[in-house]
Amino acid sequence: MEAMPEEKAEFEEAEIKYVSYGGEHHLPLIMNLVDQELSEPYSIFTYRYFVYLWPQLSFLAFHKGKCVGTVVCKMGEHRNTFRGYIAMLVVIKPYRGRGIATELVTRSIRMMMESGCEEVTLEAEVTNKGALALYGRLGFIRAKRLFHYYLNGVDAFRLKLLFPPPRQELSPSLDT
Amino acid sequence: MDGHSPKLASIPASDSTVWADASPLLQAACTGLRDGELIHGDNFNLFAAMSALEIMDPKMDSGIVCTYYSIDEAIENGAAPIPISLDSTIDVQRTIDIMDHLLACEAAWHKGHSLAQTVFSCIYLLRLDRTAPHALLHSYCRVIRATCKAVVSVVSDARAHEEEDLFTMTYGLPLNGDGDDKCLSMLNAVEETISRQLRACKAASSKRRLPEDLEPLQSNSNLEEGFCKALLCRLRFRKHFFHVLACMKRPQGRGLESARKHIASCMTELESILKSADFIRSCFGESYEGDIDDKTTASGREPIGFDAMLNSRLSAPTPPRAIKILSWKKAVQYFVKLLHDLDVICSYPLDPHLESLLRFVVQFQISQPDLVARSHLQLLLVQDGKLYGRDPFFAVITKAAALPEATKNHDIQKNESILQLGMLVMNLLKILCTNAAWQRRKHGKFLQDWRVIYVQLELAFRNEFGEVSSSSNDENICMKIFQHILLWVEEKTYWIAFRFLILGFELELYSTSEYCMVYWYLYAVLTKLAEKTHLKIAVSYDIAKRKGKKKKDSPKDLARESRIPPAVLFLQCYICLAEGLTMILAALRNEISVFQSPGPFNTEQEKFVQHFELLQRACIPDHVSYPSYKESTTHACFSTLAMYNYFKDAQRIAKEVKSSFSNDPDRLAELRKLEQVAEHNSVAQNLICRLGALDPSLKVSFELSHHPFFATVVVKRS
Repeated sequence: MEAMPEEKAEFEEAEIKYVSYGGEHHLPLIMNLVDQELSEPYSIFTYRYFVYLWPQLSFLAFHKGKCVGTVVCKMGEHRNTFRGYIAMLVVIKPYRGRGIATELVTRSIRMMMESGCEEVTLEAEVTNKGALALYGRLGFIRAKRLFHYYLNGVDAFRLKLLFPPPRQELSPSLDT
Repeated sequence: MDGHSPKLASIPASDSTVWADASPLLQAACTGLRDGELIHGDNFNLFAAMSALEIMDPKMDSGIVCTYYSIDEAIENGAAPIPISLDSTIDVQRTIDIMDHLLACEAAWHKGHSLAQTVFSCIYLLRLDRTAPHALLHSYCRVIRATCKAVVSVVSDARAHEEEDLFTMTYGLPLNGDGDDKCLSMLNAVEETISRQLRACKAASSKRRLPEDLEPLQSNSNLEEGFCKALLCRLRFRKHFFHVLACMKRPQGRGLESARKHIASCMTELESILKSADFIRSCFGESYEGDIDDKTTASGREPIGFDAMLNSRLSAPTPPRAIKILSWKKAVQYFVKLLHDLDVICSYPLDPHLESLLRFVVQFQISQPDLVARSHLQLLLVQDGKLYGRDPFFAVITKAAALPEATKNHDIQKNESILQLGMLVMNLLKILCTNAAWQRRKHGKFLQDWRVIYVQLELAFRNEFGEVSSSSNDENICMKIFQHILLWVEEKTYWIAFRFLILGFELELYSTSEYCMVYWYLYAVLTKLAEKTHLKIAVSYDIAKRKGKKKKDSPKDLARESRIPPAVLFLQCYICLAEGLTMILAALRNEISVFQSPGPFNTEQEKFVQHFELLQRACIPDHVSYPSYKESTTHACFSTLAMYNYFKDAQRIAKEVKSSFSNDPDRLAELRKLEQVAEHNSVAQNLICRLGALDPSLKVSFELSHHPFFATVVVKRS
């Protein structure tokens, strides 16, 4: 029997609706997506920690009423820098490669920037070419390599995005 | 809800406590809470709640019983029988399987998994005493236990394992055994018995009779010789490996020569172990189907007596992820590599010259030795706060700074900054023995410390000798010491900055769009490094040639007088390549807009700041900044590129300097690589200059195909 080719969903990018985390009704959608795609065992408290304290940083992507992607983040003070952190990013397989993840992450980062974050960080497996390319395009650099970060022995990159310093109001010229 | 008290109170009520049913209270609380609400207190909030486990979730609850509740239950259910089989032939086969699987577990442990999930997944090892009736298994397990303990000790002492701390976790594991120091004599006794048996069956096969009346190993006389041989090489490998560890532990490298002999024996036995696989598989009687290369035993069979889940509660509240034990073949390969790396360490002549030592360690790391080998190297290099446990670091520094031999006894070594410098050098050596990722982070961090030491020493120097025209002899010597050491510290600082930058290539931290700034910064650091190295060498020539002269020449005059030393030429070759690559990348970016990645949130400046933050903070080098980078590269274009070919310079220098390194195979090998890069890049540059702006189908890429940090320019038609 030949392997069936992976089914790709057919859709126009404009059909994808992006919404900010809106409340309890979104929580099971996020949990199902993440539980399905990632192998980390997260309890419900982990999800609540993120979406309760920083609801404005989590986004969901819907296609015709079905949740197809999500991003979950936080931000806070870390060693004298106000920093955003991308904790989870998932898009279900049939919808990958169409810019949905990029859009989700971009919205979250924009929110972090507007909230005063100086930088954004996350970890990604060194073998995760897709994620590295996505974040690379958004301006992240590979700041560090973490040896055997994951329990399966794979290394990780710590990715970091530094925002430019906020534009300062130019003081009026003194010699007119 | 029912109101009945819990049946089995495993924690009995006392005088001041009593069991009460809290079900009604919990029920009321549940009813009172709405979806999404959490009861929290002063020390229990959402963050703390993240550590919650869902009981009975197998992904989270390591208390979940998988097969057996405890080791005792496993044993009671026959998971680790003694003897392994009543049929002596099967018993021997199974014993060999256990030995093989233990080797595979040991390799998996060395590679970064926990001891509990690997070697100590062996039930026989967890209850070693009960194996006493089975002399072969018992002595083998004892040596394994003693070996693991020795290796844990080496790695813990080296503390080179910050991220690999899974390695030394031994909580709850029976690693200490009474009488384990006698394990070798037990092993020798068993080895002796089997040797005699081997002689006996060889004699029997040649129809000679031996006076001894030995009991055979197992019942099938046709297989006796093969089994004896298979067992002997396995036992002997363990014996020699244990000796290697013991010899290398001896202080000041006294046991290195003996260690080499045992390493050679280990290699021989490993070869025999591999060869025994054919016999072991053939005596099955059944043909084995399936891919044997993946199996953890030579026979391809699953070993008896292993259960990785029995220790799961020892590791952490959450169950450890299932791991894959290395295949037996890969395990043998691992040990071959480990022994080879240990042999390189044991062959090192304990050179008191720091510069040669640094080159040796850098070269050693190229083969990516694993944690166990690196820990051994570190312990050899730094013992009791001295180099090789023998040379005080002040003496090492004075020698490296080209000061006369007698300087090592000078009182200046008690100076606070000099003492700190000694510590920095010691830490540098330790850092160089860690894995590349950690090494780079530490280099970045310590740059600041090296800079501070330089400033402190300079200040001390100026305070002592500032305006004074010195006349006293001792003051002259002090001044010379300071001068030399200051120069040496600067050179070392730039060397560390250089290592920091190039490790980024090995660790794949740079994307091609960042190569331009990286090579530009590398060019700046290398220029300084070459300058300081040249000064340092020139000053050491000064000692040799101008002993009697009172007049002080400036270092610049000295530098001009002597020809350029080979070490500096080598760096100049680097400099040409760095400059060439910077310019070609800048030209490509300016002319055809490739290798830039403007993101929506930041610019190249932010990336520059991030990559070089630690260097900038330590002012290494001075006057280097993003604006100066832009200035150097904004005007690069194909026509300016065509005017000067830095790669041709690099080629010329590499050729010239080869003869000076005829005794140094490592440097010769690198020079050859540098030549290849220079040649390829020179051709590519010419091509790009001629066609680049005109031919849109030309695709340029930068590959680290010839040299670890200088990229080769590849031009293709798409």
